[in-house]
Amino acid sequence: MNIITNNNAMCSFAIDVLRSVEDPEIGLNIIDLGLVYQIDFDEESKKIFCTMTLTTQFCPMGESILNTVKLSLEKFFSDFTAEVYLTFEPSWNSDRISEMGRIFLNRK
Amino acid sequence: MSVVNHTPLTKTTHWKVVIPFYGYGAIALLVSTVLLLLSANNLLNHYFSPGNLAITHLMALGWGTMMILGASHQLIPVLIESELYSIKLAMLTFLLAGIGIPLLVVGFYEFNMGAPAKWGGRLILISVIVYLYNLFKSIKNSRKENIHALFLFTATAWLLVTSTLGLMLIYNFSFPLFQKNSVDYLPLHAHVGIVGWFLLTIIGVGSKLIPMFLISKYFNSNLLWRIYGLINTGLILFVLLFLYSESLLYLFIPVVCIFSGIVLFVIYCYKAYKQRIKLKVDEPMKISLVAILLNLFPVLFLIIIIVHATFTNTVSFSVVMGYGFVIFFGWITAIIFGMTFKTLPFIVWNKVFQYKNQITVTINPKDLYSKLIYKWMIFFYWTGFSIFLIGLLMNNVLLISCGAGLLVIAALFYGWNIIRIILFKAPLDEYNNQ
Repeated sequence: MNIITNNNAMCSFAIDVLRSVEDPEIGLNIIDLGLVYQIDFDEESKKIFCTMTLTTQFCPMGESILNTVKLSLEKFFSDFTAEVYLTFEPSWNSDRISEMGRIFLNRK
Repeated sequence: MSVVNHTPLTKTTHWKVVIPFYGYGAIALLVSTVLLLLSANNLLNHYFSPGNLAITHLMALGWGTMMILGASHQLIPVLIESELYSIKLAMLTFLLAGIGIPLLVVGFYEFNMGAPAKWGGRLILISVIVYLYNLFKSIKNSRKENIHALFLFTATAWLLVTSTLGLMLIYNFSFPLFQKNSVDYLPLHAHVGIVGWFLLTIIGVGSKLIPMFLISKYFNSNLLWRIYGLINTGLILFVLLFLYSESLLYLFIPVVCIFSGIVLFVIYCYKAYKQRIKLKVDEPMKISLVAILLNLFPVLFLIIIIVHATFTNTVSFSVVMGYGFVIFFGWITAIIFGMTFKTLPFIVWNKVFQYKNQITVTINPKDLYSKLIYKWMIFFYWTGFSIFLIGLLMNNVLLISCGAGLLVIAALFYGWNIIRIILFKAPLDEYNNQ
């Protein structure tokens, strides 16, 4: 897990919030899956900019996941509005899965 | 790491387009198994009997094709990495095929090649043209070329050939379009459909979905190109040899080509399975993987049929029936069973929860169907399939009837779960949590 941010303190809260957002097919949260690339905060305009990817391009659950990320961030940071951006550069690969995520996926 | 290029999200196909295909398929499967049970006594007479023709076409078109069309309308954005060109054309495809298929099946069942069969054939042909046009326009709008789209497009082109030939064979009963009887062209019509449409579609879609659902990194474009080349070469050779060669032995050349393609696809799926990230494989994926192996079975039957026909100049009806049964009730049905429960719950879950905050949603897509009903469905399906096949090969009507009865139960359980999924509504507390 390697998330770029301009505000470490607020980012750690955001990470905790996004740990409750799961990829419904895999059953693992998007942080441990390594889907989130960047979370920036603009305290003047009260905006959160979250850049993330999906395990596969044109994932059928993509719209639902992005929508949930936005709603979750806005629910926790109630003064802020969140903008969620999707990128596939770099594309996701399994090396981005955290140690906890690997333990979860290796369960038989 | 630097993050660049924000990509807009491509919208998935609307559920209203897709769900009718799944509902139609479930009904067609149930009716097919009931017809199989009712025709149990006459199945071994000749493969060109009204009952067999009706069941085969209901299975191939009402079940296999409608399910594939439904799933492919949903999966086109995933496969070709672009949106579906037209939802209205997708609905028109459903409407035309949905009316055409029962007309054709009733025509066959009553062995009346007049108006119902002809209109059925015409409507199905128009439906295929509409689908092919929609697919072509969708692929044209796609940002990049990909092998999965090519498989699907080529398969649909073969479906067009199959349905055109099928309609011509119906007309051949009233006007002499061909030199020989329609019955003589049945192997050509059947194999262009089975190999060209079903096999290419299943490989094109499966090579994308199986690694995706297994969360596997495996992708091998070169191997897929080889499979594509082998199967299409084999099929073209088969068509030419069928039309211009007298010797059945030459048919081994296309059989070897197609068999090699299937073996390579089995290897492709095995490598995807070995490289999966998530160790636990769920039940629908298990039956999908078994179906991929089952793909090898019909080729063995075909080899027996060709060898037997070459050396005895006769055709064993029970082996021919077994061959068709393994294809439609084995390979195609097993993979549709698996893929239904990997796709439909997601479509309905998206419909119900897409704009809800997912963290307050405690229901996952896989919770939309009953695991218990699914397990019983699988049990009755495999038991029924095995008993029926043994009955066919042993010419035993009692075993055939028992097997067909168990398949009816499997189809009922399948339909039960489909209804549960389609009619799913979020419990009130899920809404109250938003």
